[in-house]
Amino acid sequence: MSAFSYENKTPIISVNSVSYDYRNSQGESIARGVRGIDLDVYQGEFVVLLGHNGSGKSTLAKLLNGFCVPDEGSVTVAGIDTKDDLKIYDIRSKIGMVFQNPDNQMVAAIIEDDMAFGPENLGVPRDEIEERITWALDVVNMSEHRKRSPSKLSGGQKQRIAIASVLAMMPDVLILDESTAMLDPKGRKEVMDTARMLNCQKGMTVILITHYMDEAIEADRVVVLDEGKILTSGTPKEVFSKVDLIKSAGLELPIASKISSELIALGYDIPFALTDEELAEGICKLKSKI
Amino acid sequence: MREVSIGQYYPAESFTHKLDARIKLLLTIAFIVMVFLVQSLYAYIAVAAFILIATLVSKIPILKVLKSVKAIIFIVIVMAIINLFTNREGTVLWSWWKVVITVEGIVTAVKLALRLIFLVMGTALLTYTTTPMALTDGMESLMYPLSLIKVPTHDIAIIMSIALRFIPILMEEVDKIMMAQKARGACFDRGGLLKRAKALLPVLIPLFVSAFRRADELALALDARCYNATPNRTKYKQPRLTWRDLVATIFTAVFIVLVIAINNNFWGLY
Repeated sequence: MSAFSYENKTPIISVNSVSYDYRNSQGESIARGVRGIDLDVYQGEFVVLLGHNGSGKSTLAKLLNGFCVPDEGSVTVAGIDTKDDLKIYDIRSKIGMVFQNPDNQMVAAIIEDDMAFGPENLGVPRDEIEERITWALDVVNMSEHRKRSPSKLSGGQKQRIAIASVLAMMPDVLILDESTAMLDPKGRKEVMDTARMLNCQKGMTVILITHYMDEAIEADRVVVLDEGKILTSGTPKEVFSKVDLIKSAGLELPIASKISSELIALGYDIPFALTDEELAEGICKLKSKI
Repeated sequence: MREVSIGQYYPAESFTHKLDARIKLLLTIAFIVMVFLVQSLYAYIAVAAFILIATLVSKIPILKVLKSVKAIIFIVIVMAIINLFTNREGTVLWSWWKVVITVEGIVTAVKLALRLIFLVMGTALLTYTTTPMALTDGMESLMYPLSLIKVPTHDIAIIMSIALRFIPILMEEVDKIMMAQKARGACFDRGGLLKRAKALLPVLIPLFVSAFRRADELALALDARCYNATPNRTKYKQPRLTWRDLVATIFTAVFIVLVIAINNNFWGLY
């Protein structure tokens, strides 16, 4: 994991004191969305938005690509305000979004046709669509499935196809909106590995929305949402070590962090651990000291 | 997962599979018109020969094509029987009380049955050799003149393709819901017709709820992928007409002329 440098970077997404409520047709507020959110996302960053159900994390995602327009404040993507109706498709072509249920985001019964859907909508020339499909399938390592039907694939594979379909639109930012929530551990790992690889090797800005804390371990920055507000943010280590705050947000620490924080509380001299390896190392060092 | 035969595409590498979907659609329509025009039994033999040749060229097992008739055999029988008993003119073969069977009645019944069977076999060949996606694309392309009078042909094509895509998903969902209801003591295979229909209600309601939820999510996904971003939408799969399409068209045209000639006894064969 390389430390992300914020020097000389301009944010690709800027969220400025945004509030949003879900409203009924009379304009009355029926559910809280988010309150006073400030967030900048930089090019090439891997940001994880953490929060339990109803914390406002998916609302925030919908605000980022203009599905929802803020009641107060503003959201700008690459300098374009999401309130600008005429440029909404510029924003959506820059922000690729992958949703929770892979079955509900595929339009065609053949994988390459589904992948062509986005570029077709943008009016990309035919030959370029062909190149993009070949490239995107190669990136997610699913080239051999090109002419097949998605119905025969596993959840993780379907979700990788969904990512490839979004990649074919050549977005600057990839948002994974709870894209791992319906998957088994193997599928989750496939999707996480793909997201991480895109971030490291292709420099893709990735915003991952999840309630699994272990998916946040390798992020550049973790943002914890609770009741529509940003509770805390920072590097995974900074955030995870605020044990009580995390608990109050209804989230579950990775097992290694839980054990190490309890050991620290008992007075043992070990560093706060995020992964099992770090915990094992800390305990070994402690043992050699005794 | 249940294997669903909607679209019932039969994958193979054949002349017919490689034909342009639009040409196949047009030729199928021409075939349907031809079958309706045919009156004489001799011409029916010619039509049967046409189907046989087309099946062989498509490399579809003949049994599979025959099986497609199974789905409508009930309708064929009912229609044939109705024709058999309602035709009262001509040579009486057998009569009892008010029921009269005539030679002409038998002939019309047989002709009607053959006509229906040929229709189904012909259209089955189309769906066996063309993927649902190619079919919807072909239909969209053929509907092009309608788009000039502001009919949203592309939206129609997308709706058709999404419908095809979601059929197996919803079928699977029905299975799951039925199992869940069975686990709670529901019974789908006992009782009278009314009772069985009633038992299906607890399956249909969750199915509809889930279908609407899926539709909601799908709408978001379509928007996220810039659906309707530009009127100058491009097309990834651009069908090109080849020599095959020309050969198939000429062959079908010649056959139609031949069948109609036989039908009208042009050569005085009978």
